[in-house]
Amino acid sequence: MNANNDVRILASRASAPLVRRELSRRGFLAVAAGAGTTMLLAACTTPGGSPAPAATGGTLENALSIYTWGDYDAPEVLEAFTSEKGPRITLDSYGSNEEMIAKLVAAKGTSGYDIIVPTGVFIPQLIENGLLYKLNRDLIPNIQHVDDAYLGRVWDPNNDYSICKAWGTTGFVYDKTVITRELKTWDDFFDAAKNEASGRTSVLDDPVEITGIYYWANGIDWDTTDPAEIDAAEKFLLEELAPHIAAFDSYPGGAAIPQATHALMQSWNGDARLGIMNSPEPERWQWVLGSPATELWMDNWAISASAPHPEAAHAFLNFVLDPEYAVAQIDYIGYHTGAKGIEQMAEEAGLGMLDMVFFTPEQLATMQDGEINEAQERNVEIWNKLKAAAGA
Amino acid sequence: MRNRRLPGFALALPAWAWLAVFFIAPVGVVFWYSFGYKPGLFGTHANDRLSFDRYLEVLTPTFFDTFVATMWIALAGTALCLVIGGPVAYWMAVKAPPSWRGLLLALVLVPFWTNFLVRTIGWQVILAPEGWASQAAQAIGLPAFDILYTRAAVLLGVVYNYLPLMILPLYVAFDRVGEPLREASRDLGANRLRTFWRVTLPLARPGIIVGVLLVYIPLMGDYITATVLGGAKGNMVGQMVAAQFQTAQNWALGSAMAVTLIIVIVLSASVVGALLWLVSWPLRRAHRVMLTEASR
Amino acid sequence: MSATATRIRRPLLDRLLPVWAVLVFAFLFAPIVVIVIYSFNTGRLLAAFDSFGIESFLALFQKPVLMDAVMVSLRTGAIAAVLATLLGTLAGIALARRSGRWTAWFVGLLVLVSVTPEIVDAISLLPWLVFLGQDLGLSIFNDGTVRLVVGHSLFSVAVVSYIVRARLVGLPANLEEASADLYAPPLRTFRTITLPLAMPAVLAGLLLSFTFSLDNTIVSSFVQVSGATPWPVYVLSALRGGLRPEIASVSTIMLVLTLIALAVVALVLRRAGDSSTEIARTIAGG
Repeated sequence: MNANNDVRILASRASAPLVRRELSRRGFLAVAAGAGTTMLLAACTTPGGSPAPAATGGTLENALSIYTWGDYDAPEVLEAFTSEKGPRITLDSYGSNEEMIAKLVAAKGTSGYDIIVPTGVFIPQLIENGLLYKLNRDLIPNIQHVDDAYLGRVWDPNNDYSICKAWGTTGFVYDKTVITRELKTWDDFFDAAKNEASGRTSVLDDPVEITGIYYWANGIDWDTTDPAEIDAAEKFLLEELAPHIAAFDSYPGGAAIPQATHALMQSWNGDARLGIMNSPEPERWQWVLGSPATELWMDNWAISASAPHPEAAHAFLNFVLDPEYAVAQIDYIGYHTGAKGIEQMAEEAGLGMLDMVFFTPEQLATMQDGEINEAQERNVEIWNKLKAAAGA
Repeated sequence: MRNRRLPGFALALPAWAWLAVFFIAPVGVVFWYSFGYKPGLFGTHANDRLSFDRYLEVLTPTFFDTFVATMWIALAGTALCLVIGGPVAYWMAVKAPPSWRGLLLALVLVPFWTNFLVRTIGWQVILAPEGWASQAAQAIGLPAFDILYTRAAVLLGVVYNYLPLMILPLYVAFDRVGEPLREASRDLGANRLRTFWRVTLPLARPGIIVGVLLVYIPLMGDYITATVLGGAKGNMVGQMVAAQFQTAQNWALGSAMAVTLIIVIVLSASVVGALLWLVSWPLRRAHRVMLTEASR
Repeated sequence: MSATATRIRRPLLDRLLPVWAVLVFAFLFAPIVVIVIYSFNTGRLLAAFDSFGIESFLALFQKPVLMDAVMVSLRTGAIAAVLATLLGTLAGIALARRSGRWTAWFVGLLVLVSVTPEIVDAISLLPWLVFLGQDLGLSIFNDGTVRLVVGHSLFSVAVVSYIVRARLVGLPANLEEASADLYAPPLRTFRTITLPLAMPAVLAGLLLSFTFSLDNTIVSSFVQVSGATPWPVYVLSALRGGLRPEIASVSTIMLVLTLIALAVVALVLRRAGDSSTEIARTIAGG
């Protein structure tokens, strides 16, 4: 552009500042527009970042980055890894799977995390987006110590990308001083919610957990995408359950159970166990495994596709699956780690309330795997409606 | 001399640039997403086909119901913050010993340097059916406290967490009135109430407006504060936006909802602001009278 | 209006106001008292008191992740607060003193910043920062602290601007004009007149920005990078396993440290004397 493109403006003294402001304002808008265009281009760029090199069992790097749920590993296990194998561990935390996935997708291979801990139902998504590292199973011989029942799940049938870290199930807890009769099934849950525990009921803050109660109680497949069944679930939940819900709380064990703020709480087994064990009056609470059907959710060890330290990552996975640390882990987090023979080890170690951690084969047979499917949009819609109705 | 002065907005230029780069640009992209759609099960957004369909999806009865509930909580919360925080700010700015004022300001904020979730647990311990408040009440013969997960608890949580956002601007507002001006007013024969009504309050008005807006506007978009003590009764519309971005992984719909929410918040704030302006009209007329008298 | 009625009303209001203030301060500190007490809880869960003991304080040394998170938060908070206060003060002064056609646009931008839900900020900022850091090669945006500061400063800039503007707007500019008439250069006028006039607002803005930054969770969790997890993100993600008393211990330690820092600052200010503020206030009130 011609440098001598000065524009000369003859204006009255009073209006000169106005003119100057106008021109500069246009300049601003131009800058903002330019920034916006650049942003659009950015949004259209293809994924970058190089995938991690293949792990071959070579020397371990001196650092390892784990991106996981907060406080989800026994500190002594992590310390033992560093002191025995060398790599220094950096722990980072996330509060939800979707947040973790959003970060990995946006980072386009530069996130810097080695190990991530996704919940099972999100693994297909991660695989499809190319975010998971195909495990070199030769480097993880300790996988033999994982019980076969917890390998080969539907989201990763050959365990190419993930290995079980901890699994749990869903049920409910009730206050025996408020609900004096015995509750055994999800229908009992609905019934108590309408009667003794009306206004003192809490459910998990997750759409599929709430619609799950209806499906499990009525023998419908939890992963159904049949619109008629979904509509029926919505109708029932809005009319029969929503008016009685006091809170949507995914972690009642942390505070609601010890403080006895609700009388009937849907909860995960480990969380409920924690709450009851630390309650001032444990005998007051009764845990019920959801029946006739319930879920099995599983958090898995996985390695990010762009892991900067793949050798250390594999070494860590192998290390943590060693049965020596299984009891420490289960004691710390309160969930079944999937290790073989761990039930016996836990009993010998004197851990309490093990009926809430270990289940019989019959009970295991009633636990369904979830999945994220086309019904998710409707589930979220139902969840929003439930919250609006419960808040009214 | 005047010609060498920097143009008016020069001082605001750094802030402009900062916000342009780190807010306008990225949020503009999210706004752009709202014209797209969710491409299949595992994608979050795609913009090869543009439409206004997402906006139509936003306008559901659930959205309206939740929005009305949100407005009630926001208005009640803001009003309570004003009523509770106003006298405190006035005392701090006008009555408290001057050497204490900076310290008091900081003390108002010290509780909020403890993490939000931790503060919430503190309140739960106090307010639980068998918590401290209940035990104290029962000790003197009153029935047990059952306030958690009620509408009252919603407002308690909201007021508690937004009180500093009201107190600090109000402090700055009352502080600028200045003791000499109030003394002058009393020297001219006005009693304390008249001084407050005709001098202090009108001069503090810009700061009061800031306090009210600083509580109302973020509160409208907030969805966590109301639920921590109030549970289901604290359902707010921001939760629907977050649900789309997180659980549903549908950024297109989430963006459309966010844009709608922003527009509606600004509209409602304008309506509330207009009402306040109308209500304060007699005040401003009095103010004008004051200034005329003083300048004679 | 009889003299007796005025005299009776005077002491009552003067006595009631401090009582109200004390009540409100008690209200503000009530849960903090609980947390300090519960930081001596030897139980497994923070919310369930077991017995008194200092074990949870010792746990801090076994888990470096806790102190790391706190340091990240404190560092980020300090930088974000100073930055936001700087930008916001200048903007607020410009809005109050030099308003013009541009004011409406700028206030509109500030309103937009305050109104946008945090999740939108978070979702939009993450890919943008990655773009700046990776695609454009501005590697400073790959640094954890820089990203967090960027995310925390947005809302705070708006807040400080509002408060500073409210402080200055409508106050007659005769002081500054007098200064200019006396041939003081604009920078000197700014430093000796305008800034002290705005000082209470600047201080309030600084404190508020620091507070917002310390508690910022949603934006932080999205833009954080490996090795820079801020404290609120850690606490939120630790909910899943049940918060332990050590979280309260960390909070108590942070509380004690900030109170000590406040005391130090108060002592230093008292020694140095805030003469400029006093002069400005006296003049401004006249």
